[in-house]
Amino acid sequence: MFIKENLKMAIDSIFANKMRSFLTMLGIIIGIASVIAILAVGNGAADEITRTFSDIGATTISLNANDPEQSGDLISNEDLNVLRDSIDEIRYISPNETTSGNISSVDESRQAVISYGTPDLQFVSQSMSSTLVEGRYFNQVDFDESQDVIVIDEDGAEALFGTTDVIGETLRVTVAQSQMNLRIVGVVEGSFGDMQGAFDTSQIPLFAAMPQSTLGNQVPQMAGMDTVSIEVESTDQIDTVSSQVVRLLELRNNAVGDNVYNATNFLQALDQVNNVLSLFINFIAAVAAIALLVGGIGVMNIMLVSVTERTREIGTRKALGATTRTILVQFLMESIILSLIGGMIGLTLGIILSNIIAGALDIVPIITLGSVALVLLFSTAVGVFFGIYPARKAARLNPIDALRYE
Amino acid sequence: MIEITDIEKIYKMGGETVRALDKVSLKIQEGEFTSIMGPSGSGKSTLMNILGLLDRFDNGRYLLNGTDVSDLSDAELAGIRNKEIGFVFQSFNLMARMNVLENVMLPLVYGKVPYKERRRRATEALEKVGLGNRLEHLTNEISGGQKQRVAIARAIVNEPSVLMADEPTGNLDSKTTEDIMRIFQELNEEGTTIVMVTHEPEMAEYTKRIVHFRDGVMKKDEQLTPKQIPKREVE
Ligand SMILES: Nc1ncnc2c1ncn2[C@@H]1O[C@H](COP(=O)(O)OP(=O)(O)OP(=O)(O)O)[C@@H](O)[C@H]1O
Ligand SMILES: [Mg+2]
Repeated sequence: MFIKENLKMAIDSIFANKMRSFLTMLGIIIGIASVIAILAVGNGAADEITRTFSDIGATTISLNANDPEQSGDLISNEDLNVLRDSIDEIRYISPNETTSGNISSVDESRQAVISYGTPDLQFVSQSMSSTLVEGRYFNQVDFDESQDVIVIDEDGAEALFGTTDVIGETLRVTVAQSQMNLRIVGVVEGSFGDMQGAFDTSQIPLFAAMPQSTLGNQVPQMAGMDTVSIEVESTDQIDTVSSQVVRLLELRNNAVGDNVYNATNFLQALDQVNNVLSLFINFIAAVAAIALLVGGIGVMNIMLVSVTERTREIGTRKALGATTRTILVQFLMESIILSLIGGMIGLTLGIILSNIIAGALDIVPIITLGSVALVLLFSTAVGVFFGIYPARKAARLNPIDALRYE
Repeated sequence: MIEITDIEKIYKMGGETVRALDKVSLKIQEGEFTSIMGPSGSGKSTLMNILGLLDRFDNGRYLLNGTDVSDLSDAELAGIRNKEIGFVFQSFNLMARMNVLENVMLPLVYGKVPYKERRRRATEALEKVGLGNRLEHLTNEISGGQKQRVAIARAIVNEPSVLMADEPTGNLDSKTTEDIMRIFQELNEEGTTIVMVTHEPEMAEYTKRIVHFRDGVMKKDEQLTPKQIPKREVE
């Protein structure tokens, strides 16, 4: 029979019992709305996390030596040189540690976060920019000879001296009760940039960087290398370089199989976060699936009622020439349209819902064409799956039995 | 055009068997207006449903326009019901959510007739039964007599070779009954073959032939001159 007639009949019959149809759709509406909301918010969150992590650096390997009994002695400066020389993919390698301390000029004294490492620290440090505005970073000679040098940022220079023209000035640095007088050799870009002066920064610690060798001479517990950051050329080198680094260190330190050295990266962390996220999504999806199942059973139930109520109608239609197939298509169409309308209401509701949730979480919900197609396909499938039995029941009715039905 | 030979229909109810039709043989020619008479339970409806291909029979042979219907599939039977047979039921059996025109177009929908053609033919059929001015009414907005006229329009819209009516006036008053019978007579004069079931002798008098039934057996087959109904304007 013609699709248009079937469509009209289905819609007429759905609207003839508005309340009943709506209640029937409710399960599907809830199921679809939650599917859409989950997908939108989940994708939005995943996107947000990925963006955050790739800002930090997807080409950074974090190397850890963890032996509680031998802390500090597990990675030597010599190890770093060997690693750098034997693994071509390593661009930068440096201990990447921070400690808190105090920095004072003649006029000012401030809390500070002090990073220390090799000269490569400038490229792997997350606490300070690598863009110089004045002077130079501390270099290999500074490191090898444990020179008393320090690099600060613009914000620190402004706070301590009121200017960024501070090359050659001396700072008194106090870390773990040890005092050092260090010469400023470079100033890097400040993290507050244009926002400087917009609010009171006096309580915020300053940032500074210095050679680990210099600090280690004064504060022996900071001479050891526990955490080393390695920067590689591209993301796809991370896995091979990680295992090469660990293997080489194990060989050099007679620690094969001891599980002392650990190389992790942000991709792994990202994977972990995504795993948790997808676990959460799967859980809610299971709840949504149950709602859809219940909705589907509701559709089946109402269609069975409808078939019984309309037995005489079916008999009449058969008398007028409707075939088994025509009746089947008619009732199947009705259950599909019923679920599809439910799906579309659910879709609308889900979009509204995801915007509300995403707004509260401060992320952007992502509703893809794919997820819209998915839910529409899904509600059609629910209509077919749960409609086929009632429709077959209707279609197989014997004309005379149907006509005689009271 | 209708030829049944030794038709039997047996219902088994628990241990009991009911012979609703017992070796019934009957021939109906084109252009006849036949009424099937008999007391309640005599098998009139059973015969009608078999003739209308709504029900199957247990023994015997049924040739419709020369075709043996027992060889046909369900889909083929549906096709013949659609094209060759028009049904008028006692309780009208109109589609509640459709308007008058849509009801009459329904057999044409199943016959895959295009919309414009459907509309034209349905309007024509409704004009024939005097309802040309009620096309858009819903079926719950018209009287019982009008409903039955819609049902008649629906039955004739596909120009079937036979019109079958099972107690078509059973739910109507005597004035409306006359209107319906007049329409049947007019249709018959135009060449439509009609078979009508009734248990009221007055109704049978309007037809050309009466077949009497009792306990599933054909008792008498009489020809008569139909009683004429005075022409009257139907509203
Ligand atoms: N589906 C059925 N199952 C069992 N017995 C049936 C069935 N249909 C009809 N019968 C029996 O067959 C016999 C004939 O029934 P039928 O309906 O043909 O009678 P009828 O002449 O049309 O009667 P009425 O004038 O009351 O409509 C009756 O005895 C009835 O009980
Ligand atoms: Mg009967």
